Amino acid sequence: MKQGQTKEYAIDIQNLTKTYGKARGVTELTLQVEKGDIFGFLGPNGAGKSTTIRSLLGLIKFQSGSARILGMDVRGDHKKILENIGYMPSETMFYPSMKVSEVLKFAADMHKKDCEEESRMLCERLEVPVDKKVEELSLGNRKKVSIVCAMQHKPQLFIFDEPTSGLDPLMQAEFFKLILTYNKQGATCFLSSHVLSEIKKYCHQAAIIRDGRLICTDTVENLTKTNAKRIHMVKDGVEESFVYRGDLDELFAGFAGHHIEDIVIEEPELEEIFMHYYEK
Amino acid sequence: MTLYRHEMKMNLKSLIIWTLCVGGMCFGCILLYTSLEDSLQEIADAYANMGAMSTALGMDKMSLATLTGFYATEIAMMHGLGGAMFAAILGTGMLSKEEAGHTSEFLNVFPITRGQIVLEKYLALLTNTFLFNLVCALLYVLGFVLMGEELMGTEMLLYHLAQFLMQAELGTVCFLISAFSRKNLMGAGLGLVILLFAADMMCRIIPAIENVKYMTPFYYSNGADIFTSGEINGVMLAIGIGILCVSFAVALFQYTKKDLAA
Repeated sequence: MKQGQTKEYAIDIQNLTKTYGKARGVTELTLQVEKGDIFGFLGPNGAGKSTTIRSLLGLIKFQSGSARILGMDVRGDHKKILENIGYMPSETMFYPSMKVSEVLKFAADMHKKDCEEESRMLCERLEVPVDKKVEELSLGNRKKVSIVCAMQHKPQLFIFDEPTSGLDPLMQAEFFKLILTYNKQGATCFLSSHVLSEIKKYCHQAAIIRDGRLICTDTVENLTKTNAKRIHMVKDGVEESFVYRGDLDELFAGFAGHHIEDIVIEEPELEEIFMHYYEK
Repeated sequence: MTLYRHEMKMNLKSLIIWTLCVGGMCFGCILLYTSLEDSLQEIADAYANMGAMSTALGMDKMSLATLTGFYATEIAMMHGLGGAMFAAILGTGMLSKEEAGHTSEFLNVFPITRGQIVLEKYLALLTNTFLFNLVCALLYVLGFVLMGEELMGTEMLLYHLAQFLMQAELGTVCFLISAFSRKNLMGAGLGLVILLFAADMMCRIIPAIENVKYMTPFYYSNGADIFTSGEINGVMLAIGIGILCVSFAVALFQYTKKDLAA
């Protein structure tokens, strides 16, 4: 982006607050996702990830704040926004009596688009059983149908809520290949996930939400930078393993008077790095 | 109108079953009339001595001794109750089934406003009710033709128009229930039908609760009344249409502002 040029946001949320009666949803949430980005949205269960997504999609009405998608107001330009969004919910359900092919045709018709070619390509790559009835599908196959529904009309913005749960590793890889392909073509992807390795591997930026409030937003590279170390050691005959954040000199000073039989210091797991963002 | 076509397709099986059950049963009763004619004469005499009961069933106005009388009282009661139950079942599930079946997220992220969803689903409800009445009425006309009985065309047309409006009114009230609910409250819809049906019979017998007739759509769509007077009571029809319009408007308002369950 040239200097002085304003950034274009696919998603621009300002001070969004949603409560369910007295229960918290999200509070004063401000978040921007640049166009063309693959953005990770992290947080523990009940943090407010789905509430944020459902507010953006107009499924629930937020009390205050504002949100714009692709430059359009989510309250005023709801229909126009949904023309350009491909959404995959965490728990996908379709009409049980319909065949998969009928579900895909219905979704294409609702978008008033001929998606036959794209749909066929996606079904082949994801091995979707198009002739089966929805009620006969496994969770993984329902997820695949949901992916095709979200992608077949080639939207400008993808919103995925826990997309890979239930998919086998091969299909997960195929799914991300598709995301990268659409991303290269200019699409933005907003990915809510618990799988931190996915976020680290595919996302450029990420935000972490906890208790309905945004904790931080940064590049994934910066978020995963840490001075934390995992220490495995045998001290006074007792095996110990823990994550240490702080000065190693202080750690070693604490060993004075103890017998250290063995010690291994290594980089912590990705989950361990993120854990302190999740902890209250 | 993709959603409208989708709803019509989804409800086709139910429409066929209800039409065949209610329409077929009434059609069968029309064809059986000749074999029942002798015993019906005795039943008509018995009802004539039963006072309030004959008033409740409209037999103070029409006799079971003729096919038209049998149609306007017995057949009309079966058709009216069956049609109202069909409309109530359709109405109570029309909006709430999306949340109950967890398909609301799938449906509501298509580029369609909630207002359009309500409108297209409501049109499907009305079309189903209309088709139910149309096919049933054609079956009954066929029954009269097969029995070689003279048809009271205008009264029959008025009666089925009133039946359609009654079912549309009940269906719309149930549609309103559906807009507020996250579960399919079919039991509530059927309960409402039975309550209003009983209210119609009671208000015809008990003078103290006569004004209840303004609240139940079974009153203005009563077969015996329409076949004897040759008209639909305008005031009650206007009230019915008013209830229908208000119910639809409130359903539209509620559904467009509610938080949808996943």
